[in-house]
Order: sequence, then structure tokens, then C-alpha cells
Amino acid sequence: MSDAAATEGAGKSARRRTTDRRERLLLGALGIILLFGAWQLAADWGLLNPTIGSSPTLIARAFVAQWQSGDLLADLRVSMGEFAAGFLLALVVGVALGIAMGMSRILEYAVDPFIWFLYSSPLIALYPVIVVWLGFGTTTVIAVSFLLTVVSVVVNTLAGVRSVEPMLVRAVRAFGGGRRAIITKVILPASVPLIAAGARIGLGRALLGVVLGEMFSSNAGLGFRISYYAGRLRTADVFVALLLLIAIGLATDKVFKHIEARLQRWRPR
Amino acid sequence: MTLLRAQVSAARPRRRASFARIERPLIGVLAVAAFLAAWQIVGSREIIRSDLISYPSEIVATFIEMSRSGELGANVTVTLIEFVEGFIPACLFGVAAGLALALSRRLRYLVAPLFAALYSAPMIAFVPVIVVWFGVGRESKITMVFLAAVIPIIINTAAGVNEVSEAWIRAVRAFGAGRRQIIAKAILPGAFPAVMAGIRLGIGRSIVSLVAAEMYVSIFGIGRLIQVYSNSGKAAPIFVLVGIISTFGLVCVNALRTLEARLAPWRGGR
Repeated sequence: MSDAAATEGAGKSARRRTTDRRERLLLGALGIILLFGAWQLAADWGLLNPTIGSSPTLIARAFVAQWQSGDLLADLRVSMGEFAAGFLLALVVGVALGIAMGMSRILEYAVDPFIWFLYSSPLIALYPVIVVWLGFGTTTVIAVSFLLTVVSVVVNTLAGVRSVEPMLVRAVRAFGGGRRAIITKVILPASVPLIAAGARIGLGRALLGVVLGEMFSSNAGLGFRISYYAGRLRTADVFVALLLLIAIGLATDKVFKHIEARLQRWRPR
Repeated sequence: MTLLRAQVSAARPRRRASFARIERPLIGVLAVAAFLAAWQIVGSREIIRSDLISYPSEIVATFIEMSRSGELGANVTVTLIEFVEGFIPACLFGVAAGLALALSRRLRYLVAPLFAALYSAPMIAFVPVIVVWFGVGRESKITMVFLAAVIPIIINTAAGVNEVSEAWIRAVRAFGAGRRQIIAKAILPGAFPAVMAGIRLGIGRSIVSLVAAEMYVSIFGIGRLIQVYSNSGKAAPIFVLVGIISTFGLVCVNALRTLEARLAPWRGGR
């Protein structure tokens, strides 16, 4: 579309966009209501065994019970702590390694096969070995989360460094800037969008790592609770933890999308 | 991406092309060889206890022993069949559903939040519920594979169809094509790369989900073997199993790439 046409149609399309947005919100809400409504009706009419299928009201009741007993907050605190630790560790290590790889071709070529192995291998299958190394519990969960996350951060940071305009590096060097100036003044700012994209992918993987780690090698946290309650056929309690995990996944992704957009703002289009 | 790389390397001082071509694999192979050699020495000399880290030659020996006894073959077959039985329906259903979503804006809006939730949720968290619903046997594993694979396929297909150039559709229509022909001649070929990207994402997600589901509870399968050996206190069998799963993932992705080049030769076999 040409620029002139775009500005001319801006007023009209802005209006269309808001009605479109309203439609999207309404239909989206309707979809959720339909799903939960059908679920509730199926349970009420006996189409669904409530022990196995649960129902929205049973889940709500379980949520209140878990909240009042303090279990929910305790699990949430454990999981979020591990999530934050695994993710932040992966972010720091991943960005550092990505930049180092971007600046040294030999390092890049040498580390590349290992990164691909980490990327393509089902790390959770390694958990028995990690448990032997780090013990049962929080440390192992953080390690699984870290390993799952760090790859996407490294790969994206490397791509970010690759996207740096070589002219800018040469300019800094011409003004007497050293390696440090090149990293802080050119490479980091220029690779921020891709690092942020990698971090956003990493968020999902970090959460996955926490759930995996907790399910198989911990006795606390939402992931552990899911398997614990499921083993006792307390389906409603399983869904409380499950819905909470979905909410955390969605919320962190939303927040990060916002941060990502904000980090891009200074850039000329 | 390739463009950027080309720019960067063009800015570098030109070097002999023949060396530049082998430099990357050469350094990669050297690094892996150095890593394996160090691992072998540290493990076999018990500098670090070998039951904690094992070492390459022990892993190879364990692999041979496990395949001779037949336990590897039997369990790998079970996992493979579960994967195929979940993944093929996921591809078929995913493409159809993605097409439907792309063609109807209302439908897309209706399910968008639900799909976003499913997409950003850790799939593994569904395993216990699926097991409660479908039992400890293979049905729950097949369901997990299907669920894990179908969502990225649907989302990518829908996005791919939406990005098919209007010009293509208009051109096909100008030659008198009906709705069906528009789908077959313009929309499906146009969305093909995105569909393939979705399938590729689905492979990774569903393999992890399948192994985790087998690890959670199962009777046969690679995941089951991992749980069995996790109590053995030895690292070597675990490394063997992880290697098998990784290899399986790599084979799948490469097979897909070959298929893609075969099915879409107009894309220059990329």
C-alpha cells in the first residue's frame, strides 16, 4: 500500500479497527464462556463423571479451599521462585555466551554443535542424571529450567549480534573505542530486539522446565501438585494448578510483549 | 537472516574461499571430538565417579548391550507407533482446522484466547489430566502427541493462509477458478511454508510431551525405560536413551525438510 493511501484511509481504518477490536474481544470472551458453560452443563446433566471430568464450580471451590489453606500460595511461591531463577540465569548466561559467540567466529563454530544438541534433545529425559548431580528438589528444577531456556537466548542473541551494522563497529573503533565500548555502545543496543524475542520464547520454555522439573524431581510447586492431585483423582485440584499455570504463561508473555515493544521504541523506523 | 550473514561476511576481509567453507564444520567436529575425549578420560579414569557422568565408550557398550537384549527395540517400537498414531491425525486435523480458522474471521476470534492459552501453557502440565481421562496405556500417549502437535500446526496454517498474497488469489480467480480451486491452487501452495514450519514445531513439542507422558506413567516405551533406569544409579543407560530420542527428533526434522523440498520444488529446495 502506498503512503498516501495509508494516511488518507487512516481515519476510516482507525474506526474500523476499533469495531474490529471490540468484535474480537466479544467473540473471544464468548468462546471462553461457551467452553466453561458447556463443561458445567455436561457435569450437571451427568454427561461427565465429575470425579474425572470435574466442572467449573468444583474447580472454583477447590481454588477457594487451596487458597484458604495456604497451599496455593506456598506452591505458587516455590514455582515462581524457580521460574525466575531459571529464567534470569539463562538470560544472563545466554546473552553473555551469545555475544561472545557473535564476536569470535572460532567460539561460535565450536559451541554451535552443543547448542544444537541442547536444542534438539529432550532435556527432561536427562533428569535422572541431573538429580544424581544436584539432588532432588529446587536446584534440579532450576537447572532443567535454565537448560531449556538458555538455548533460545543464545541463538537469538547470536542472531542479534550478527545483525549489527559493521559500519557502526568501525565507527566506534575509529574514535578509539575498545572492545568494551563496542559491546556496550553498539552490540548490546543493536541486538536488544532479538535478545528480547529470544527471551520471550525462553519464558515459555522456562515455565515448561519448571513444570517438568517439579513433576519428576521435586516435592513442591505447581508442577508437583498437578501430579500429586492427579494421582489421588482430585481432578478439580489438578485444574486449579493447571489453570494457574496457563494464566502465568499468558501473563508473563503479555508483560514481555509490552517490554519488547517498549525496547524497540527508540529505533528509527 | 541469510542476507544479514552475507552482509557481515562481505565486510570481513576476504579469505581463501576453500578454507572458509570447511572452517565451520572443521572447528565444530574438533570441538565435539575434544569434548568427547575429555569426557572419556575424566569418566574412565574415575576422576569424577563414572556412575555419575559415565563416558562415551561405556555409553556405546551399554547401547550395544541394550539393543542385543531386545529391550531397546521393543520399547522404541512402542514409542514410535504412539508418535505416528498421534502425529499424522494432528497434521491432517491441524491443517483442516487452520484452513477453517483462516477462512472465517468470526471463528478465529471465537477460539483465539483458548488457543493462546493452550499455546503458551506448558503442555506437560496436561499429562496427569490426560492420563486420568485416557488411562495409563497408549491412548493417553497418543492423545498427548496429538494435542502437543496440533496447536502449532493450526496456528501456523491459519497465519500462513492469511498471508497468501491477494494477487495470487485474484489471478487464480481471474482464470475462472471456483472456491475449491482457489484453495487447491493458490491458498494451499501459498501457505505451504508456514504449514511446514508448524509441523516442524509440532515435532519437537510432541516428542517431549510423549516422552514425558511415558515417564509419568506407562507400561512400555522409551520414557518408561528412562524411569526404570533412573533407579539403577548409572548414567550410561540414560545417555543412551536420550541419544535415541534426540536422533529420532533429528531424523524427523530432516525427513520433513526432504519432503518439503520434494513437495515444493518451486521454493528452490531450501
